[in-house]
Amino acid sequence: MAFQMGEETRTFPITWDVSANKYKIESRGLRILTEGMKDKKIRGIRCHECDTVYIPGPFYCRKCHIEIDEVVEVKDTGTVMSFAVDMADIRGNPLPEKRISAMIKLDDCDAWFIGTVENMDWKDAKVGMRVKSIWVDEPQGKFSDIDHFEPI
Amino acid sequence: MERKVAIVSHVQTKHSSDIGMPRERMLFNLVKELHNKVGITRHDVDSYVLCSNDFEAGRTISTVFEDTPVGAYMKDETKVEMDGIMALIYATMRILSGQFDTALVVANSLGGSQFRPFLIMEYQLDPTFDRQVGLINELNAGAFQARSYMDKYGLDEWFLDAISARLLRNGAINPYALRSKDDATPEYVASSEYYYEPLRKLHCYPFSDGACAVLLACGEKAKELCEKPVWIKGFSNSLETCRLGERELYTSPSTKQAAEKAYKAAGISDPANEIDVAEISAKFAHQEPIICESLGLFPEGSAEDVAKNDLAEITGKMPISPSGGGICTYVFSAAGLINVAQCCQQLTGEAGDAQVPNAKIALAHGQDGFCAQHNSVVILSSEEG
Ligand SMILES: [Zn+2]
Repeated sequence: MAFQMGEETRTFPITWDVSANKYKIESRGLRILTEGMKDKKIRGIRCHECDTVYIPGPFYCRKCHIEIDEVVEVKDTGTVMSFAVDMADIRGNPLPEKRISAMIKLDDCDAWFIGTVENMDWKDAKVGMRVKSIWVDEPQGKFSDIDHFEPI
Repeated sequence: MERKVAIVSHVQTKHSSDIGMPRERMLFNLVKELHNKVGITRHDVDSYVLCSNDFEAGRTISTVFEDTPVGAYMKDETKVEMDGIMALIYATMRILSGQFDTALVVANSLGGSQFRPFLIMEYQLDPTFDRQVGLINELNAGAFQARSYMDKYGLDEWFLDAISARLLRNGAINPYALRSKDDATPEYVASSEYYYEPLRKLHCYPFSDGACAVLLACGEKAKELCEKPVWIKGFSNSLETCRLGERELYTSPSTKQAAEKAYKAAGISDPANEIDVAEISAKFAHQEPIICESLGLFPEGSAEDVAKNDLAEITGKMPISPSGGGICTYVFSAAGLINVAQCCQQLTGEAGDAQVPNAKIALAHGQDGFCAQHNSVVILSSEEG
């Protein structure tokens, strides 16, 4: 096939501004999570049918397909289910130091939370290791109120 | 299935990190090549199913500028945003409905030169939580998945190196592949840089420009149009939740479910022995065993044994991705459809040096989403049966 660089191929830099997108969500689960974080508490929603505990809590169970609303508190300690040693941030910019990003199953919760694990050598990181949340001094009700996790 | 559907012909580009031409030119050339190969014009095609990605194209309903280059002017046309294998499934259903006798499926991406697939994937994340946390991209999610499999079965990174090495060698005998190395070894793969440990550069898919077109027809029409139709014997798809944190990443229950349904339709009861060759969409080396095991082609946790015993080689007991798979080329939107085209080559005996002897039944797989959230399976056969 004659797939050669076309003489009449030009490249135009275009942008696609979607900053005006008004993204709607049913916010109860997120509100319950972030409000709790002001008091250093992590709250999710439990399905009364299958007992799955989600954070942030959705308004329905994804598996049972029923509305759910039972608020439950989960622990701020948990177990590392998997982790990556990041050499770059999410846009691929190199990090000054290697960073452990981990999926953490908080105790009493079925959904995994994503966070960084600090205060340890990345070479010692293991699936199954126990970690605790390290909160910022003055929580604002943001995801960043959990600054990072550390090994117990 | 009263009506039967078969693949008449297929074409694909020489995939590249920069194909050096606009999408419209690439698609026009591609479809003209298919027309010439089959000896038809656009007037012989009843229905079109296209597949590309709005984000990557930089315009919504990305196919609006692709319709006329593929010959769909004033024709029945529709679009799939997921993987191209879903477009093939959709087109098969359109023919099965009896409304159409022929359908052209076309999938493409300029993910190598125009818009990075990692960004598309970043925008697939839930904007209110996962994206806000700002710690997940496709690569470290892939690393989570790899680690999950390694931990589950007590494996070190060697199997990742061995899988990529095999695929890079296969890529060297696939004239369409973007990346290849004919003497690739696990040590060579292990010398590539880490992206997100345990994933190295050569465990990950390359950004690819490319396109693929597949012409389908009902049984009678297919026999008129070509000498060796490839029969679609079964297909299915299934998906898991969009949240990584609610999934077991070392396995693929959606692949398993899709496979069970496709096998049932195709009358396959012992996939590991009945399927002669499989083309798997693995964007990362570790996804190949996860998907193959869920397809029932290998036992669970067997990645290291499979590599050590050369079971997945072209000459092995269960040849996997003779094309070189996702490590050599991963054309966003088209990868699964390209797998279908590669399987057709195997079943018509046109796979050249990559030919699996006497291949009669092939499995093509396609995926979409973070860590293969959505999986599709198509069973193809050289025999009408
Ligand atoms: Zn439930």
